[in-house]
Amino acid sequence: MPPIQESSVFAAWAAGLLPFISFGLIIIFLRNPGRERLASLVSIGAIAGSFLCALFLLTRHWGIETPLQATVSWAVSGKIVIPIGVLLDPLSLLMLTIVTTVSLLVQIYSIGYMAGDPGFSRYYAFMSLFAWAMISLTLAPTLLQLYVFWELVGLASYLLIGFWFDKFSASEAGKKAFVMTRTGDVAFFLGLILVLLNLGNLNILDVNSLSATTHMSPFLITLSGLLIFGGVIGKSAQFPLMTWLPDAMEGPTPVSALLHSATMVAAGVFLFARIFPFFSHSAVVMTFCLAIGTLSMILASTMALVSRDIKQVWAYSTISQLGFMIMGLAAGSYFAGVFHLTTHAGFKALLFLCAGVFIHTYDTNDMFEIGRNGGRNLKIPMLTMIIGAAALAGLPPFSGFFSKEAIMGGLASLENPFWLAAGLLGAFLTAYYTFRLIFIILFPRDRAAASHGEEHGHEDHHGGYREMAVPLIILATVTVLLGFAQGALDHFLTEFTAMAPAHHDGGHHAWLPFVAIGLAVAGVALAWFEFGRKGASQVGFADRVFLFRTLFGERWFMDHFYRWFLDTVIYRGISRLCDENDRKVIDGSLDGLAHGTVESGRGLSILHLGMIQYRLMVLFVVMILLAIYFFF
Amino acid sequence: MHLAYADFPFLSTLLFCCVAGLLIILFMPPERTREIKWVSAFFSGVTMLVSIYLFVAYDKELGGLQFVESYEWIPSLGITYLHGADGFSIPMLLLTGVVFFTGVLTMWEMEYRVKEFFALIFLLVAGVFGMFITLDLFFIFVWYDVSLFPMYLLIAIWGSTRKEYGAMKLTLYLLAGSALILPGIVYLVVQSGMGTFNILELMEPGTFTPYEQRLAFFLFYIGFGILAGVWPFHTWSPVGHVAAPTAVSMIHAGVLMKIGAFGVLRVGMFLCPEGWQYWAHLMAVLATIGIVYGAFAGLRQTDLKYVIGYSSVSHMGIVGLGLATMTVDGLNGAVFQMFAHGVMTALFFSSVGYIYDKTHTKAIPELGGLARTMPVATSYFIIAALAGIGVPCLASFWAELMVFISSFEVYPLYGTIAIGGLAVSALFMLRVVQRACYGPPNERFAHLPDVSLGLGIPRMILVSVIVLFGLFPSLMFDMIRTATIPFLNRLP
Repeated sequence: MPPIQESSVFAAWAAGLLPFISFGLIIIFLRNPGRERLASLVSIGAIAGSFLCALFLLTRHWGIETPLQATVSWAVSGKIVIPIGVLLDPLSLLMLTIVTTVSLLVQIYSIGYMAGDPGFSRYYAFMSLFAWAMISLTLAPTLLQLYVFWELVGLASYLLIGFWFDKFSASEAGKKAFVMTRTGDVAFFLGLILVLLNLGNLNILDVNSLSATTHMSPFLITLSGLLIFGGVIGKSAQFPLMTWLPDAMEGPTPVSALLHSATMVAAGVFLFARIFPFFSHSAVVMTFCLAIGTLSMILASTMALVSRDIKQVWAYSTISQLGFMIMGLAAGSYFAGVFHLTTHAGFKALLFLCAGVFIHTYDTNDMFEIGRNGGRNLKIPMLTMIIGAAALAGLPPFSGFFSKEAIMGGLASLENPFWLAAGLLGAFLTAYYTFRLIFIILFPRDRAAASHGEEHGHEDHHGGYREMAVPLIILATVTVLLGFAQGALDHFLTEFTAMAPAHHDGGHHAWLPFVAIGLAVAGVALAWFEFGRKGASQVGFADRVFLFRTLFGERWFMDHFYRWFLDTVIYRGISRLCDENDRKVIDGSLDGLAHGTVESGRGLSILHLGMIQYRLMVLFVVMILLAIYFFF
Repeated sequence: MHLAYADFPFLSTLLFCCVAGLLIILFMPPERTREIKWVSAFFSGVTMLVSIYLFVAYDKELGGLQFVESYEWIPSLGITYLHGADGFSIPMLLLTGVVFFTGVLTMWEMEYRVKEFFALIFLLVAGVFGMFITLDLFFIFVWYDVSLFPMYLLIAIWGSTRKEYGAMKLTLYLLAGSALILPGIVYLVVQSGMGTFNILELMEPGTFTPYEQRLAFFLFYIGFGILAGVWPFHTWSPVGHVAAPTAVSMIHAGVLMKIGAFGVLRVGMFLCPEGWQYWAHLMAVLATIGIVYGAFAGLRQTDLKYVIGYSSVSHMGIVGLGLATMTVDGLNGAVFQMFAHGVMTALFFSSVGYIYDKTHTKAIPELGGLARTMPVATSYFIIAALAGIGVPCLASFWAELMVFISSFEVYPLYGTIAIGGLAVSALFMLRVVQRACYGPPNERFAHLPDVSLGLGIPRMILVSVIVLFGLFPSLMFDMIRTATIPFLNRLP
């Protein structure tokens, strides 16, 4: 191996292992109170190291032509060999950079946000655990390694959502997230085994190569593709496993920013992109993915229309943007999906961190409340949030505009116009609910209270806002600039890879950007009309219609279904059946057997009373019987 | 099979330590509880060190049976004192050493009839060690019963919740098992016509006809399977776990259930490979039911120990499924799972034992909020629960991975069902963690002390073992593979 590659491999290993070491150090040595400062420094130092490694790798391998792979054998069972290692190609390099950047910024932000929390060290330990898992997932050269760290990411997410475990809702949300994603993972795991058994290994480069089609029949490819997509559904909170993500907002806000918008949930989309060629072998799988992505996108957008909780709105928008990414990928536009993943990571982290400042300052998640308390007086968060919102709404020249454009281009190239129409509807709804939130905070109805809040609202509440501001500014800058890197990224991602069997750039639909911009502006305008202008009623159109209000507010009754399913089918159905079977049937029959043995023994013991007259009588009867037998 | 004789009788040392500990404790005055505990800790510590030495010193290149000791015992009956360790038994010995030592340390605070308790524990473990090291059918039966008999007293005297019922149920069940094993052994020895109880001689191919193998294997499978918690013969296990005192639960679920699975392996599969192949399908079915059924039944339990008892049923199902696959990976996974489950469940019971000692309740609805008052104790519990779910980087993950992959290969339907059980087991474990540990701090338990450093030692040992083998599964796979590959190659 030439030295240049050796140092790259080393850097890649280091990027993964640094947070792991930090996790170990904190959990073993720095757990106790009094060492919080050191714990946060260790963790931030480690992730900063990973970040530098990522930058180093990205700059060195910008324009990498052949993927660089280095593995060592970790365990050999029999037929099954488990290698671990790193795979450096454009996708993993890009994702590595995203993950480490957002992690670093969020961890810096958390110093202020989590200050004074009794679990401060624990928080940083879990953050390091998450960083380790996510980085190793990104660099995984085999699907098995990806699966291992995929599960660990789920674990870190569980621990961080339920971080404030005193709150019942938080622990409930953590459990829900873990179990729901696990349900998807079961399918993922099955798909993985199918590939392993038929292809012989799980090396991502092999899975993506054409040899997959020679080893596996089309049916098998479709089946395993659908199963693996089950994992994507769970992790990226797509329909029908989407309801855990809004609940996951029970975790600390930086956690929501990092895990539940920018990185962990993006792992699902990342998996899709990672084995994109494999998926694209099967038209059935692609269409299925497209349908799921579209459905999730629309459903989540509608839920966001009526929510009053600032974090909830961003959570719904995350689901819907993930749906967009999946739509883009499933439409065959590899670059569009990955590009949207990149831009989304930046602006969604920004939006959540801004929301965090508001929540931290005003101690409420309710956007009306925040508006009334004078939310707009927090200049930096307000301004950066508007930038992020504009990107989310797809307004030029912010990053979201470019990536959403690319996705629309991909959708437009499909034969069926339905998908494009759905995408455009989604874009309209997104712009509407995003600016609904902005206008509610910016123009509170009760202006008197707002100015009241201006006087002593934020002065006494918060201290760490300055530390939190730096990441906001950085992310806002990224959001403004990233869109212009489209050409370079496109070149980097797709030029030297066989990644784009059906690569569309959407350029031949010249009218499309104008329609998209028009719809986004229309969404903003509607939001302005209902929430922004002077004398606006601040009641959205969805709130006026009972059907919409109920359906959207209750999340299309999905949670009701799950609750019913758990309570009635699982607890009171199957589970009770098993339990009662144990107690009544198995134990009952055994206890009955034991009882019967004792009782029959007692019955027979009459024969052994030892009374001479009984014995004589029995003797007499037997003699008579014998006599009868012999003489007749 | 390759035999490497021992320079020093390490395997007998294990037995010797148990017997010596037993005798010394018997001759100590009962009121010297402190000294009794130290003696127990010393001898159990020695067994742990010896078992670690065996694990390290076993020559994986050479494979086969090592540390062999062979002496004639009753030549006229063909009974030999034959000990040996291979890739199957070395992990079990390590498991026993670790669980034994940590179990003794866990009971450091007990005060009631200390002398008798530890004496019986030594007797119990002597049986366990004997079972794992002997290669003679006669001794297998003897050690099996030696390890059962003290259980009755340990549960009935030191237990809790319906202890007489639990103890009686357990004893009857296990004796029923041994009532099947004994005819099996006698049948094989007589049919062979070789007049020997030596497994190595009996396992020569062609000794038994396929019909004999089928019959005998069935007896062994049910007989030993009862002890391994095979569905539907599992109901003794949750009841017994609940009733038993902490260390006994640890040894019981951690090691004793492994004796059952190990018996199926060493006696059933070694002597009757064709019987094994014949019944494998049945094994797979029962194991799959056990995996899913255990998880579902566990969901409804309100007693912490019942929950763990049912998780054992589910996890031992994974062992059974692995054995039923008849592939290298499946067997590796099964043996690894025996080890991983043993350590994990020992950690489970030792942390529940602590919680019960302090709060005096095991009822999940009464608990809650413990994570605030005793963060260390609950983190051990949570780690055990995560291991039970099969989270990567904890030992059981790799074991389950192997079993699931190979079961899916051999029995796609059962494999799928068993893998689906993963989601249920996650639900069931996390539900317990949430109810017992999380939630607002409980006033009732606010003053309770957390695990002290001393009492933390056994738990730390168990956690380190789980993490060590979770991060470096090759340590275990390289060991087990030395036994599974030659074993499967021998099959017709």
